[in-house]
Amino acid sequence: MFTKLALRNIFRNRRRSAITLAVIVFGAVGLILFGGYKAITFRGLRESTIRRIGHLQLFKAGYAKAESQKPLEYGLENADAIRKEIERDPRVRTTAAQITLMGLISNGDKSETYIATAVEPRKDRESESHRLVSGTQLPDHELDAILIGAGLAKSMKAKPGDYLTLMTTTVTGSLNAMDVRVAGVITTGVREYDDRAIKMPIEGAQQLLQTAKIEKLLVFLKTTEDTAAVEASIRQKYATTLESKDWSQLASFYHQVVMLYNGIFGFLGLIVFGTVVFSVANTIVMSVFERTREIGTLLAVGTTRSKVWRMFFAEGFLIGVIGGLLGILAGVALAQLINSGNVMLPPPPGYTRGYPLHILLQPAVLVTSFVISVITATLSAIFPAWKASRMKIVDALGHI
Amino acid sequence: MNKQSVVQLTSIDKSYRLGRVSVRALADVSLDITRGDFLALAGPSGSGKTTLLNLIGCIDKPDRGRIVIDGADVTALPLHRLAATRRDVLGFVFQTFNLIPVLTAWQNVEYPLLLRGTPRRERRERVERWLELVGLADHARQRPDQLSGGQRQRVAIARAMAGDPKLVIADEPTANLDSDTGARILDLLGEINTTTNCTFVFSTHDPALMARAGRVVHIRDGRVDRMADGGWQMAEQMPAHHLAATSASAIRHLPSAI
Repeated sequence: MFTKLALRNIFRNRRRSAITLAVIVFGAVGLILFGGYKAITFRGLRESTIRRIGHLQLFKAGYAKAESQKPLEYGLENADAIRKEIERDPRVRTTAAQITLMGLISNGDKSETYIATAVEPRKDRESESHRLVSGTQLPDHELDAILIGAGLAKSMKAKPGDYLTLMTTTVTGSLNAMDVRVAGVITTGVREYDDRAIKMPIEGAQQLLQTAKIEKLLVFLKTTEDTAAVEASIRQKYATTLESKDWSQLASFYHQVVMLYNGIFGFLGLIVFGTVVFSVANTIVMSVFERTREIGTLLAVGTTRSKVWRMFFAEGFLIGVIGGLLGILAGVALAQLINSGNVMLPPPPGYTRGYPLHILLQPAVLVTSFVISVITATLSAIFPAWKASRMKIVDALGHI
Repeated sequence: MNKQSVVQLTSIDKSYRLGRVSVRALADVSLDITRGDFLALAGPSGSGKTTLLNLIGCIDKPDRGRIVIDGADVTALPLHRLAATRRDVLGFVFQTFNLIPVLTAWQNVEYPLLLRGTPRRERRERVERWLELVGLADHARQRPDQLSGGQRQRVAIARAMAGDPKLVIADEPTANLDSDTGARILDLLGEINTTTNCTFVFSTHDPALMARAGRVVHIRDGRVDRMADGGWQMAEQMPAHHLAATSASAIRHLPSAI
């Protein structure tokens, strides 16, 4: 009965209720679009990060704590046997050996520092962790071919086919140099990385460093959701020989972006929330004022104050439910319109490439926007409902 | 003293603040209303009739004095604790009808029964009976804005009566109606009074209506000026069964479209 009464009172002043609902729908759509955009941004960034660093990285036990004086002091020696064992796990897509090294790169006139990632050429070609600007990808069995970041290539005035010299410290601590051929110029989309980055075959790096060890083993999974489970089984099997880090521990940039976006969206969300609360509260206050005599009547014929309170509270709640549902419909419709519209966005912070605007419609985002709509509208009703239930009956009945 | 007392007011004082001035609305009013009374509170505007009705109706509190409703002293109880008394013992008819605009005639009559938690079956019987008694059985599904003033007041009477109250309080029940419709509404109240023996207290300043009351209490400047027997309850001398029979037939023949 009281629900029915509340529902009818909502539809009593259609135009005003329509405006209130529009405000809630506006807020809900905002949440859905923000949330969907955030979700796809995070997922895209996460997957592109993982393509570069793997789901898991495995090191020789002691790697993290050791203050190694020389390169690869804590390198993996028997990597092949470990790889074969790990790749037997059906959740694992592939593994890749990697060495990171630093040194100077020179074109004869000028030297720059570089950070090289030594990879298996075949795995690297499959990983799509960079985009080729010119030239070719790393060929198999050519130890002195390298890929060079676009920024570094510009600084070195190098183009595919040119020869450069790499210098670094070997595992024994002496200096070594090697002439390399530029196979291709690449970009990862991250400017700071492109200004320093080199990719080279792992055998070439081992020759330069004068070692047979690798630094770490990257493990790529079929789905990101399996990360924790696979890591646990590896840790159990290689408790004494290996240590591991998952992508989340390694991806500080990803976490920075997530924090930045959450901050921005949180702030926008708060503004939307406040706007909706005041707008809905205003409507219900007006409605309480208009219905003063009616409230007086309800109280006079024996309705308790708590029932009057609950009735107005129910009005807020129902407005929230209706608004939330309409918001989901409108949000989904608008998201699909945007997704089919192919709108291009400018590059996010630290990136050199823009990307198409896409809204990911996750159930969690829809549910969240609905729940927030309901909570907002219900909260908005608290004060007006309280005011209605506190009225003096005699005054309320005398109200014109 | 074989007549049962429904309302006992003893030495009631009530003042209002109007801006900075304190206005004395009632001064030392004592009044005894017995079961079956059809009592008019008469007096000019501002004489204190409405204040007195509000006190009897348990929607306002006196500054001093004692109020006993249906044997229970309600003087000390706060207003919100009196919701149950208003719900179970009293019925209200307002000058401006005060129906709930979003509910149909049927639902308006049903509302106080819902508050009491009356079972569904009994609720339906009572609503149907009272809508028929006030001549609005055909208008059950209409909302107040689809009804005339007289019809609205009939719905309000059915709403007041559906819960079998001991006492019905009506503040100027005919003031917003033309004199013909008003007279019929008063006829209806009178009929109900005689058939059910429910007590009625209404306020009016219309001499024509006072003439129909069983008892008229004249109020002037917040005091009981004088009491007089009205014309209506000459019927009291008639035998009870005869009275019930005439009233029932009278109700049956009331036109529905007043």
